[in-house]
Amino acid sequence: MAYKCPSCGKIWPDTLNLARHIFGTGDQPHKDWVNSKGYNFIELLLIQTMEPGNKGYKTLADLLEKEAEKV
Amino acid sequence: MNKYNVINTPVHNIDGIAKITGRAQYTFDVKLPGMLYGKILRSPHAHAKILHIDTSKAEALTGVKGIVTGNDTIGIRQGIWRRFKELCDEEILARETVRYIGEPVAAVAAIDEDTAEEAMDLIEVEYEPLPGVFEPLDAIKADAPQLHEHAERNINVTRHIEWGDVDEAFLKADYIREDWFRCSSQHHVCMETHCAVASYTPDKKLTVYTSTQSHYYIQVLLSWTLGIRENDIRVISRYTGGGFGSKFELDSAQFCSSLLSMKLFKPVKIVLTREEEFIATKRRTAMFYYLRTGVKKDGSFVAKEARVFTEGGAYTSMGATALYLTGFFQAFPYVWPSYRYDGYRVYTNTSPSSAMRGFGAPQATFCAETQIDLIAKELGIDRMDIRRKNAMYPGYEVPGQATIQSCGLMECLDKIDTWIKSRGKLPANQGIGIAAYGFMSGGIFNWFDTPYAFSSAIVQVNIDGKVDLYIGSQDMGQGSNTTMSIICAEELGVKVEDIRIHMGDTENCPVDIGAWGSRETLMQGNAVKRAAADAKQQIIEFAAAKLSPNIVYDLDIKDRWIHLVSRPERGLSFFDVVKEAIRAKEGLTIIGRGHYTPHRKGMISPAYSFGVQAVEAHIDPDTGKITLKNCVTAHDCGQVINPIGVEGQLEGAMAMAAGYGFTEDLPMEDGKIMNPNLVDYKLLRTTEMPETKVIEVETYEPEGPFGAKEAGEGLTNPTAGALGNAIYHATGLSIKELPFTPEKILHAIREQKKKK
Repeated sequence: MAYKCPSCGKIWPDTLNLARHIFGTGDQPHKDWVNSKGYNFIELLLIQTMEPGNKGYKTLADLLEKEAEKV
Repeated sequence: MNKYNVINTPVHNIDGIAKITGRAQYTFDVKLPGMLYGKILRSPHAHAKILHIDTSKAEALTGVKGIVTGNDTIGIRQGIWRRFKELCDEEILARETVRYIGEPVAAVAAIDEDTAEEAMDLIEVEYEPLPGVFEPLDAIKADAPQLHEHAERNINVTRHIEWGDVDEAFLKADYIREDWFRCSSQHHVCMETHCAVASYTPDKKLTVYTSTQSHYYIQVLLSWTLGIRENDIRVISRYTGGGFGSKFELDSAQFCSSLLSMKLFKPVKIVLTREEEFIATKRRTAMFYYLRTGVKKDGSFVAKEARVFTEGGAYTSMGATALYLTGFFQAFPYVWPSYRYDGYRVYTNTSPSSAMRGFGAPQATFCAETQIDLIAKELGIDRMDIRRKNAMYPGYEVPGQATIQSCGLMECLDKIDTWIKSRGKLPANQGIGIAAYGFMSGGIFNWFDTPYAFSSAIVQVNIDGKVDLYIGSQDMGQGSNTTMSIICAEELGVKVEDIRIHMGDTENCPVDIGAWGSRETLMQGNAVKRAAADAKQQIIEFAAAKLSPNIVYDLDIKDRWIHLVSRPERGLSFFDVVKEAIRAKEGLTIIGRGHYTPHRKGMISPAYSFGVQAVEAHIDPDTGKITLKNCVTAHDCGQVINPIGVEGQLEGAMAMAAGYGFTEDLPMEDGKIMNPNLVDYKLLRTTEMPETKVIEVETYEPEGPFGAKEAGEGLTNPTAGALGNAIYHATGLSIKELPFTPEKILHAIREQKKKK
């Protein structure tokens, strides 16, 4: 199973890699998608660095597990 | 025994005579008929809105010929990352907002520099000052002033690298260490400041003489920002007085002189003063580094986590690449089963930080190598052994990033170990520190989205055997012209004096994307080798027809002698064959073409250099003063092309890197650089240089021309870390903030005494 980026449609093998893609791209459409889901894109990015355990990426990956289209 | 005729023989810089006799014409020396002189008015504010600019009084001054402001531009926000709109965020002449002290707001052209200077005082700019933010950790706060509309919390770019299960690996570690580091900024301090002479003519052609590392990039960026067709712009840069990463972006001298010339149809020359050079050109990226490292009791590395905030300054510049590379080289030159890196580049109201020799790797190496010595001490493991245990090796794959083909790191460690042991017991307050490093041999970064090959070359063999070599790469003092001549001479089987090199001119040289990222030896070198091989094949085909050897025999050319490989005495003169070949081809000269673009070589580079450096230093416990005693470097640059060139590059890099370690700094107050001159900005002087020794460790790099890799930029990486470790071994003090000033050392000594 693979996951489709809800913003640009790019396919990723798992949600953690999809989360990395979203943070790494970081353009307005990707930011807007994250923000529209009740999270703050920038806050998630900062949590990733301010707190241990890959937390920002995992939070987004969990969201994507529920929200991203599986292909 | 040297298997080559030219390669690995000492060749003096082919530009050397022109340079030392003063005949080399730098942009600074260019003078055109009717030329005007330009000056640039710069913002005194770190952050402000431009409300109004009144140039009327300045225009009325006798001798002033023209003034341009942002309103005279076509309003392009430019940058080298052409594919990413948000990263193209810099207007060379600000129209609405200034974001750092020194940002250009207007430019004047006059009959001489004094008049232009006087006119600048008459330009009235009304600003509305805005609150500024100068430190990245302040700039990410929710209530910090925001520099750019698109960058919430001033986060400009983020980079993430990860492999292995980092969290799981930390659980299995026997020992975990966490440290924070602060890596300072540094200025390039090129001997030739940024400068340009632009001449726009009524036929709508623009010629720009300039000091640059990439005439191609400047041609394209000028085309974009001025709205002129790319090949209606000619960029000439025959000699460049130093670059070190500061001269491959469009600068204010190039843009403003071009804009003024387009307005006035007169040549305009702008040379930045040393003060402008410091405050208004780019600089090395300052970084805040957090490292968390997990190891086994025996010293095996199991996991590393790195987090970085960089002080980006006002614009993206090349800082996004420095952000990625510092994360990549944080893992070098070791094998990490798991690794995670999060890097954030943060906008601040300071001059933009960008590329500088090492491109993020010196910061990474300083932090990593400092921490490794601390870990070794804690675990009671020899500092060489912990590095040997975890060293990269030939064939190692950095997960998802790179493949290491050649790697002489282990031999470098052995050589340095032997040297350290030969030093015996050192005097009091004297220590030897080491740092291991690696670096790329040519960055695989097509930020520019160029459709051209990364490097191209043309070889033309003339009737008298003289060879014209046309290349697009830029010699900025590093000696690449000499290196290319050697590669061409070796491949073609002639002597270096047979080669006449043509470079630094977009009108008659093929495209090369520039002298950055340690590209030239490997990438331009491969293109030259291929072009020479193409020409050689044509000559050999003709010689074969003349010699009529048994077809099992191969022909080769060595030392201007075309011969059977198995019977070298049987052959023909290179000159005679060339003459006859050209005659036989109805007078057409022999032309060879070659190009190189890396494919399937990972994310970073086709090849990597490696090395280990030892720095011996004395620390005065009463004053905190550091005296460098010795610096020995074992460096694997693949096959050495020119031993003199390697030595010069390594010594130059060491001087620059030692300056980064303990003398050079850019202190700021509210965004203002406090030492923008060569009195207060302290470069390492010749009298302060230690004895230096270079141990060449030769390997063969399959991707490099004749097996060669980079030599010069990578050597900027280890010195700060090695010096820090020398201080640690001499005094027991580990200082995690660059540069190691006497004040910091004295403070640390006092703190150490208090604890005792």
